[in-house]
Amino acid sequence: MKLLLAEDDAILSDALTAQLQGAGYEVEHAPNGAVADYLLHKQAFDIAVLDIGLPMLDGLAVLQHVRQTQPALPVLLLTARDALDDRVAGLQAGADDYVTKPFDLPELLARLQALLRRTQPALAPLPPPSRQLVLDAERRCALLCGEALELSGREWELLQLLLQQRGKVVTKERIFQAWASEGGEPGSGNTIEVYIHRLRRKLEGGGLVIRTVRGLGYLLEEEEGL
Amino acid sequence: MSLARWRQRLSGWRSRSRGRLGSGSLSLSRQLLWWVLLPQLVLWLAGGVAAYRFAASYANEAIDASLSQASRALARQLKPIGSGLLIDFPKAAQDVLEADPADRLLYMVSQPPGQFILGNQALPPPPLAQGAALRIGQPYFYDGSMPLAGPGDAEQAVRVVALLLRLGGEQQPEAQTLLVQVARSSANREELARRILVDMLLPLSSLILLMTLIVWLGIRAGLAPLKRLRQQVEGRAPADLAPLQLASAPRELLSLAGAINTLLAEVQHSVERQKRFIGDAAHQLRTPLAGLKSQTELALTLPSASDPELRARLLRVHESATRSAHLVSQLLTLARAEPGALRLQDCPPVDLLALARQLTAELVPRALRAGLDLGMDEAAQTPVWVAGEALLLREVLSNLIDNALRYAGAGATVTVGVQRSGAQACLSVEDSGPGIAAQDRARVFGRFVRATDAGSGCGLGLAIVKEIVERHGGQVSLEPVLPHGLRVRVLLPLAGNPQPA
Repeated sequence: MKLLLAEDDAILSDALTAQLQGAGYEVEHAPNGAVADYLLHKQAFDIAVLDIGLPMLDGLAVLQHVRQTQPALPVLLLTARDALDDRVAGLQAGADDYVTKPFDLPELLARLQALLRRTQPALAPLPPPSRQLVLDAERRCALLCGEALELSGREWELLQLLLQQRGKVVTKERIFQAWASEGGEPGSGNTIEVYIHRLRRKLEGGGLVIRTVRGLGYLLEEEEGL
Repeated sequence: MSLARWRQRLSGWRSRSRGRLGSGSLSLSRQLLWWVLLPQLVLWLAGGVAAYRFAASYANEAIDASLSQASRALARQLKPIGSGLLIDFPKAAQDVLEADPADRLLYMVSQPPGQFILGNQALPPPPLAQGAALRIGQPYFYDGSMPLAGPGDAEQAVRVVALLLRLGGEQQPEAQTLLVQVARSSANREELARRILVDMLLPLSSLILLMTLIVWLGIRAGLAPLKRLRQQVEGRAPADLAPLQLASAPRELLSLAGAINTLLAEVQHSVERQKRFIGDAAHQLRTPLAGLKSQTELALTLPSASDPELRARLLRVHESATRSAHLVSQLLTLARAEPGALRLQDCPPVDLLALARQLTAELVPRALRAGLDLGMDEAAQTPVWVAGEALLLREVLSNLIDNALRYAGAGATVTVGVQRSGAQACLSVEDSGPGIAAQDRARVFGRFVRATDAGSGCGLGLAIVKEIVERHGGQVSLEPVLPHGLRVRVLLPLAGNPQPA
């Protein structure tokens, strides 16, 4: 996975290069806009991370230039400017995503992955699989710590949704949508509670916990230390 | 911060100028009215007095002419006979003289000094100054008083003519001097003067009333643009620095409005410069902070950082970098929430409930990591539309939840609620943490004020919340929750015409 990092701050780019390499990217660093522009036209990249405030040629100009030749290249703007106008300007220039400094590395990595999944599904590294639970979409069955779980259609949908959004809130509306898209009848709030209750019993002892988030929905959490 | 100082100065100036107006000084229209009407009233009074004088003197002239005529007619009837006097005064003539009881002519013929001959004895003598004397053949007019009806009656004012005659001519040695006096009641004369005065006074008074009304209406019409200007200045929000709009106004007022607009533009310019400076400074800080954070994160993953003391130090550096980054982004938010023209009517309605649900869901993982139970109030189900800038409102809620997560402590429950409360939308964040002491509750809305040394905040969160909420025309308040905890309530006006998007 080849990534261009255009960032003029030496300390930040040094650390970020190391972190991105650690996450499995092959990183090419450009210290200014002109070098970034040159590299983008000479080499083939899978994704680019551009700072806006670059010396010589600013990030937006680099972006507009590369959009003319490579409209499909996923580009993430990494910038200190986060006012609404700046975001709009960045997205209008053709950026696919926008991350403001200072950033959290996990968030940046997640955004890069999401971007790759969206633009080049075949290339994207999948989210790290759960150690305890494995879902097989083809056969619609689940393995919990190596043991097969008996799941009804709705239970399977629910578990898949929770697992995909692991660590995030899955709203009740989202669950109803998933069930409805599978041709089932939309249930009521109580129906969800019933299914959650069943899933919790089936997941017991597997190191996975379904938390209730009051007024919103549910969240699947992996218990630490397992 | 000098942005706040600017505004304080502006609002101070505003309240001072209002105070000056309030302390008993006259309004401009009243001053004008006084200046126009008071001289008019004085002139009108002087005119009335002069008119009365003229009327009285004309009346006197007419009466004096009749008195003079009567005295000469009487004189012609007096004929000297030797040393005696023949008075050819028929009864009919006497009757004519005394015919009108209200306007009687009284006469007296006497021989100076003081020898009464004929007529009414009560006629007052001519008031002659020392050494002065009546001249023969010249009528002398004067005012006096006497009982008209008869002796013993009350005295009344009379007009008298005195005519001195010499009878017998030069050839007669015993020439006689006779004094003929004719008096007439002044009542008629005064009546005449009074009528002239009244006939003049009534139309004059109505004229002056009419004039007052016209002048007042004129002043009102003339000062209407001034009133419009005043309403514009008084009616604006402290943060509104948009130029005054005066489409049609007199030249003088346009130049005043122009001067105010110049001042407003200068203030606006200065505010914007300050804002840009804060924004730029914060931006400049962001990149090195990102570098610092990334470098420490990287260092923590190195195998050589397994030494616990080194690790602890690195974690502290990282925490400090994170806090600085938080401060910088809060500063930027505050700079952005500073006065600028937020035109609520131009903002599309925002569903506060959807916003709260989305943001709460995003923050749940962080709450779980910190050991807090974050959730939404189950009762909130229907959309609540408010007019406002979604990004800023998001900032409000994000700061409130962030505060709760920072200060409520592990194990606490944090609940976000959105509901209608009359004509307002109520957004609340309630936690079961230690709460804020009553004496600190007003203080914590200040900038860089922290009510506790726990947590790692920068003391800008509630200041940002207050700034944004007030710009949206709302209020924010803190309430204690029993047995312990804090509820922050934000009231915002509902959107005028909610359109479900």
